[in-house]
Amino acid sequence: MQRRDHILIVDDDREIRGLLTQYLEKNGCRATAVADGRQMRAALADGTVDMIVLDLMLQGEDGLALCRDLRAGASGSTPILILTARDEDTDRIVGLELGADDYVTKPFVARELLARIKAVLRRTRMLPPNLRAPTETSRLVVFGDWSLDTTQRHLIDATGTMVALSGAEYRLLRVFLDHAQRVLSRDQLLDLTQGREAEAFDRSIDLLVSRLRQRLRDDAREPQYIKTVRNEGYVFCAAVAPRGAPP
Amino acid sequence: MTRLWPRSLFGRLALILFVGLAVAHGLTFWLVMQERGQTSWLMMMSYLAKDIATSVAILDRLPADERAAWLDRLERRNYSYAIGAKPDGAPADDATAQQVVQAVATALGPGYTVSATQATDGASLLRLHLALTDHTPLTITLSAPAMAISAWVFAVLALQLALLAAATWFAVRLATRPLAQLARASDRLGPALQGPLLPEDGPREVARAATAFNAMQRRIAGHLGERMRILAAVSHDLQTPITRMRLRAELLDSTELRDKLNADLDVMQTLVREGIAYARSAHGEAERPCRVDLDALLDSLACDYRDAGQTIRVRGRIDHPVLTRPQAVRRIVVNLLDNALKFARDVEIHIEQTPRDIIAVTVCDRGPGIDPAELAAVLQPFYRLDRSRNRDTGGTGLGLAIASELALLLGGRLTLANRDGGGLAARFTLPAFERNA
Repeated sequence: MQRRDHILIVDDDREIRGLLTQYLEKNGCRATAVADGRQMRAALADGTVDMIVLDLMLQGEDGLALCRDLRAGASGSTPILILTARDEDTDRIVGLELGADDYVTKPFVARELLARIKAVLRRTRMLPPNLRAPTETSRLVVFGDWSLDTTQRHLIDATGTMVALSGAEYRLLRVFLDHAQRVLSRDQLLDLTQGREAEAFDRSIDLLVSRLRQRLRDDAREPQYIKTVRNEGYVFCAAVAPRGAPP
Repeated sequence: MTRLWPRSLFGRLALILFVGLAVAHGLTFWLVMQERGQTSWLMMMSYLAKDIATSVAILDRLPADERAAWLDRLERRNYSYAIGAKPDGAPADDATAQQVVQAVATALGPGYTVSATQATDGASLLRLHLALTDHTPLTITLSAPAMAISAWVFAVLALQLALLAAATWFAVRLATRPLAQLARASDRLGPALQGPLLPEDGPREVARAATAFNAMQRRIAGHLGERMRILAAVSHDLQTPITRMRLRAELLDSTELRDKLNADLDVMQTLVREGIAYARSAHGEAERPCRVDLDALLDSLACDYRDAGQTIRVRGRIDHPVLTRPQAVRRIVVNLLDNALKFARDVEIHIEQTPRDIIAVTVCDRGPGIDPAELAAVLQPFYRLDRSRNRDTGGTGLGLAIASELALLLGGRLTLANRDGGGLAARFTLPAFERNA
């Protein structure tokens, strides 16, 4: 029999704890629900937990403090998904910087929560154990005259001016930054930016690249950032560094 | 008359004070001159009577044919003698004439009969008539004593008036400036009443008014804050029951019931989200301003909408970064676009910088527009146009209210107008450059 994932739910609302446990059990997971940080530590000490679903608003120690604590402690590699009722950007950013793997805002659709839980589990299992704990993610990625704010999803130019990106442009730029100096074919770019379900044409990638170049004020004839490789695709040619290190 | 009455308090006070002081001053000046005239008149009278008596005695003793030669020598600055003229004017019987006649008669002593007639030429004051002992008639023409006023007197008068004007201006400004400050402070109060408090110093009355104003500002801000806190609290606290209901719905076996419940919950959830957004927007709980490329912001937004299959065009550029709050701008544009897309297929965003350094972003559609009577009302929270049209579109009635509040927060405002040829133009403004407030 296949082993069921053990999800530890930390939420101070008794009803939600019960309902969530019921829902996850119904969908093939094992679920334990606790009300606060103390009970959470007890549950972690008791047995293997595959993932923690952590509400930010708790009695006593609050969720962000617990999240930081978990990352520093023995259960450092257990993935954490944050539940937050306050959909304020600052909470989200702080949560992710403290090492949470994902977040879902209340009120959530249960199916979406389940999908996120599965996605996080899949992602962490694909990585070797020593890399599982997400390091404090760097908010800013620097390349050339630009920095990319990965939480707010916008660019900042050399003068400190914010330059917004559309969703598709951001995804494409992320792919380029993650694969800098490597030639990517249009197919690969399509795959990486839009996922398998997208039915897009090669041309739409060209269009997106030209939009991104415009955003980066890159000249298509003498590009500084994204070069066209004939018959192959595109390559991101600028050096990429996290914030602090010289590009 | 009403045209001369100034519209401003400054003008009115200045006018009253200056005219009043000037009239009072003129009156004083006139009184002094009058007094001086009287004194010199009295002095002249006592001298005049004796002098006339002497002259008459001389003329009386001279032979009749020599008298004419002496007339010139006896003439004084303001009276002259003539031999033989008969009384021709009307008899003068006013107090001055009586006084003169009396004084001259007393000085001449008995034996002379003095009478007075009014002078017939404009320059003279009075004519005295008497007969010498040989019955030759003698006429003495008196003119008013000349009142010499030196030029420097007028210079001093002008200087005094100038001083009065300056003092009036200063005093009136002192009195009206606090009012202007109060008005400016009221204007400056933003949507969340976050304007600076007035300095509570200066003259006692002004300090009192400033204190009262500040107290009122705090009170209104308190009420507004409370209203928003209630809205935020209700919206926030609804999130837990909605979460529970979502989970309960998910555990139902009936798919149909579950979908219907989920649809209802979607509506509630949108309302809660918008309620929180509205409370936050009006509460001034704002993000920090930063330099933003607005062209890129609008273009990237339009790209997102286009990627989702909508038709959105952007016209115009401003080509320089703007210090503003990007999330607020984005939220306004998204709300306006969503509103426009409810009623129209093609939507256009237009951005321009006016000559007065104001950036105007207009979201235009060719939908049905809004009844002109309701253009302002739709910016109110929870105001909805006639329900039959809006129910299907699922609006919360908060989208435009949020946009309006955020526009105020950005230092601009949101206005709606119907377009020529149909459709709605929603225009919001923001300052192009940082104001040194």
